[in-house]
Amino acid sequence: METRRISQELKRGSTELLILSLLEERPRHGYEIAQQIEERSGGAISFYVASLYPTLYRLEDRGLIEGRWVERQGQRRRRYYRLKPPGRKVLASQRSVWDAFFVALDRVARIRPA
Amino acid sequence: MRSLSRSTASRASGRPEIFRKIMDWITRIRSSFDGRKCPDDDVIEELAQHAAAAYNAARADGCSSSEAEARISDQISRWAQDADLLHRRPSRAPAAEPPPASSRWGFGLVRDFRYALRLLRRQPGHTAAVLATIVLGVAVAGLLFSVTYGVLLKPLPWPDADQLVRLYETRQGSPRRPSLMTNASYLAWRENPATLEGLGAWSDSLMTLTGTGDPERITITEATPGLFSILRALPVMGRLFSPESGGKSDETEAILSHSLWEQRFGGRTDVLGRDIILDGRAYHIIGVMPASFAFPDRDTRAWLSFLVQPVVDPAHPEMRSLSMFAAIGRLRAGASAEQAAAEGTARVRGGPDPGLVAEAVFGVKGAPIVLAVPYLKSMTENVRQALLVFLAAVGLLLAVATGNVALLQLARGATRHREFAIRAALGAGSGRLMRQMLVENIVLGTIGGGLAIVLVGWLHHMLPILLPDDFPRAGEIAMDWRVAGFALALSLLASVMAGLLPALHTRRLNLAGTLAEDGSAPVGGGSRTATSRTRAIIMAAQVAMACVLLVGAGLLMRSFVAVAHADRGYDPENVLTARLAMPSTSFTDFQRAALLTRLIERLKVTPGVTNAAVAATIPLGQGRSMSAFTMTRKDGTIITARALQRLVSTDYFAALRIRLLRGRLFSDSDANLSAPAVMVVNRAFASQYFHDDAVGTPISQKFNEDRPGGSIIGVVENVSYGSVTAKAEPEYYMCTGQLSRGMAYDEPYLIARTHGSPANLLLSLRSILKEQDPLLVPESMMTMTDRLQSSLARPRLYSILLGGFAGFALLIAGVGLFGTLSYGVAHRAREIAVRTALGAAPRDIVILVASQALIVTACGAIVGVAAAAALVRLISSMLYGVTTRDPVSFTVVPLVVLFAAAIACMVPARRASRIDPNKLLH
Repeated sequence: METRRISQELKRGSTELLILSLLEERPRHGYEIAQQIEERSGGAISFYVASLYPTLYRLEDRGLIEGRWVERQGQRRRRYYRLKPPGRKVLASQRSVWDAFFVALDRVARIRPA
Repeated sequence: MRSLSRSTASRASGRPEIFRKIMDWITRIRSSFDGRKCPDDDVIEELAQHAAAAYNAARADGCSSSEAEARISDQISRWAQDADLLHRRPSRAPAAEPPPASSRWGFGLVRDFRYALRLLRRQPGHTAAVLATIVLGVAVAGLLFSVTYGVLLKPLPWPDADQLVRLYETRQGSPRRPSLMTNASYLAWRENPATLEGLGAWSDSLMTLTGTGDPERITITEATPGLFSILRALPVMGRLFSPESGGKSDETEAILSHSLWEQRFGGRTDVLGRDIILDGRAYHIIGVMPASFAFPDRDTRAWLSFLVQPVVDPAHPEMRSLSMFAAIGRLRAGASAEQAAAEGTARVRGGPDPGLVAEAVFGVKGAPIVLAVPYLKSMTENVRQALLVFLAAVGLLLAVATGNVALLQLARGATRHREFAIRAALGAGSGRLMRQMLVENIVLGTIGGGLAIVLVGWLHHMLPILLPDDFPRAGEIAMDWRVAGFALALSLLASVMAGLLPALHTRRLNLAGTLAEDGSAPVGGGSRTATSRTRAIIMAAQVAMACVLLVGAGLLMRSFVAVAHADRGYDPENVLTARLAMPSTSFTDFQRAALLTRLIERLKVTPGVTNAAVAATIPLGQGRSMSAFTMTRKDGTIITARALQRLVSTDYFAALRIRLLRGRLFSDSDANLSAPAVMVVNRAFASQYFHDDAVGTPISQKFNEDRPGGSIIGVVENVSYGSVTAKAEPEYYMCTGQLSRGMAYDEPYLIARTHGSPANLLLSLRSILKEQDPLLVPESMMTMTDRLQSSLARPRLYSILLGGFAGFALLIAGVGLFGTLSYGVAHRAREIAVRTALGAAPRDIVILVASQALIVTACGAIVGVAAAAALVRLISSMLYGVTTRDPVSFTVVPLVVLFAAAIACMVPARRASRIDPNKLLH
């Protein structure tokens, strides 16, 4: 019940940050992004898939990420997304905003980021 | 949507089960959007992959298939609810805003120019190749334009010159080319002509100028007083001939040309009223013409008054006197040349009949015909056709060159696709890209035009060497703004045309497509892709045009060889000729005859001389005399023979090695005043009048000057006195030794056959002439072969010119083929490497590359030979000894073209066969 509430409250503001962070490591396809978010949050953030793709397209339109169909030997082609330099900048600025937010939370409610 | 299903289905066949599942998911997702806006195919596919992966993960987690299906169905229905967020991905906005085109158009253009210049500097090899092709092609075309404009189109320097008509006279059925007019026609028409404002006549001659400085032979034109008013010419000083002066034969007035006035009289103003001595006779100077006035051409240094004598002299009504000269008229306003000719013909037919003399002159007894030809056309009709043919040839040459530039630009365009793709990605529209390419070509065209202008200017200095001496209006050919403008416009046109193809390719720029296309461009220019098809068509067209030029050049060259080696009826080798100036004002007939006899005797004992003779005229010499007389055949019938008279000394036939066909030649015993009159005729005379049985035919009293009657003693081979292409006319030879007046010609020819080179005799001949008479001036001393060579200057020039154009075109086409093949081999290196790796032998690769090139060449050659067959009739009148269907030219040319193509593709083919798959494929 508690985790569900966190998920609902945070997911809207953090979706972009989550996606950009995952793509910072390496290019990934949509399903993998959803999987990673769920896995790394220990299931705390189960991604609402319907909003993943519109978010990806929006980020792509803003030039922060780039989607490209990649076909590998013996595999079906998949659409991979990679982080672009403007996306890297936005990611850095969002991280600092979230850092400041968690510092404020810690000071007020003694909540530290994991 | 359908296309995705099809492509996915084709990909799915034979693949693992997962792919077929995705097909199902695609169908299910698409159907779940039923009634709502369906997302893009890409989005559907991406969602289907997600669904398939989620389904597989659920199954892997231990869910049953129905549980997993239910979980995914739930997700799909949520996607369908958010259709608005997914339905279409917005089109991508340009990463950078394009510059606002409308307001900064001029700035963009300047930037395009700068960019084009930078690009040209950055690729010096490509720039040099394009510029060299354009500059050479345009410079040759510019020079031909300059010659054509100066000779055929440039207005004559006289006011309203388009109303001037040259007047000729001929007879119905005359075999001779009309060139002059008779006094009978001129005088019959001169009074009150209806279609002409007036008539004028002139005649040129060479005279010796003495009295002021060294003696000099100059060209003098005798002109009727009306001639100057017809030309609307005025003197810069003094006056013209008054109309009356033409009517008095003892009037001796002279008008000086500006150049003679300056050269001989230092431009002094007190020259009027002084005398000028010509051929020992004094003429009163009455005027000086302006520097711009030249009539009939720049050779004329002074004008004397010309009196046209009547046909019937009132003092001797039984005599008929016919004279011939050049005539000109000025059309009245509204009258045409045809009307003038009709009036002239009618007036001449109403005039006095000059009788037998006219028959002799025209070679037939027919009704008179007068021709009126616009003066400019009459001056240039000998070269008009040749110039137009060469202009067309140069056009073809330029087209071949432009084709090469297009090939070069296409090749470079292919390597620039990446640049264009980036520009397009940055927001440049296809129009903007085309503009950039056109600007680049305009820059190339401008630079090329500028260089071509410089080259044309330089080539103008070469023209006097290139053009034959008798080329009409050669002095009018000049480098001016028209030629410069033409060269620049042509250069721009050629480069823009050549740049148009690659520019059009940028219109359908598609990065993935163009890259794929370029990668599979066939080596030799097959027809698998649009670019290679364009290349193949350009190359085939180049080969075809080169073929047309080569066939034309082949015919002209073979014709020239035929003319040069034609049997002229004499042997021009080892013969020295000299024209002697012996004017009647300085020599009486008797003195001249005696001097010539002494000269012959002296020459005969000169070492190295085998034969010496004199003649009134020689082959390729000047002067002709025509006669008409009656003769009685052996069967008693009387005929009128019209023939050219040749007055020669006894050794003439031996000196020129003219072959005797029947009877005998003149002997020394004939050469005295008491011997029976004898005549030698040519083969044409014998066959036309005596069915080849001429020897022994008695000749009339007219020829023997009260000497015992004689006969035709021999028949000799026809001799080409003028052009070898002219039909042989009846001729008869008279022996100078039999005539009491001797050589009654002012400018006889001396002929000497030598053992060795006749040039060795030049110095001795000069000293012999001086020794015999210090006043004797040799007008022209030339070997017979030199005369022959100079008479062949025009056909030689024509064959060299067209041969040069054809060779140049073949070279350009060959270089184009070579360049395109090299480019193709470089771009297909990987494919060739794969072929080699799969077992293709070097021979197979060579055949692969060469066969495609040779097929293109063969197609071009077939089209070219067919086009040449249709076009050669344009030069049919320039041919001699070959027909327009000459099998040699039409066979050799395709072989030469194929051979050139084989050479052009040898290097790229060998390079292709040496591609090492180990280095390329890894």
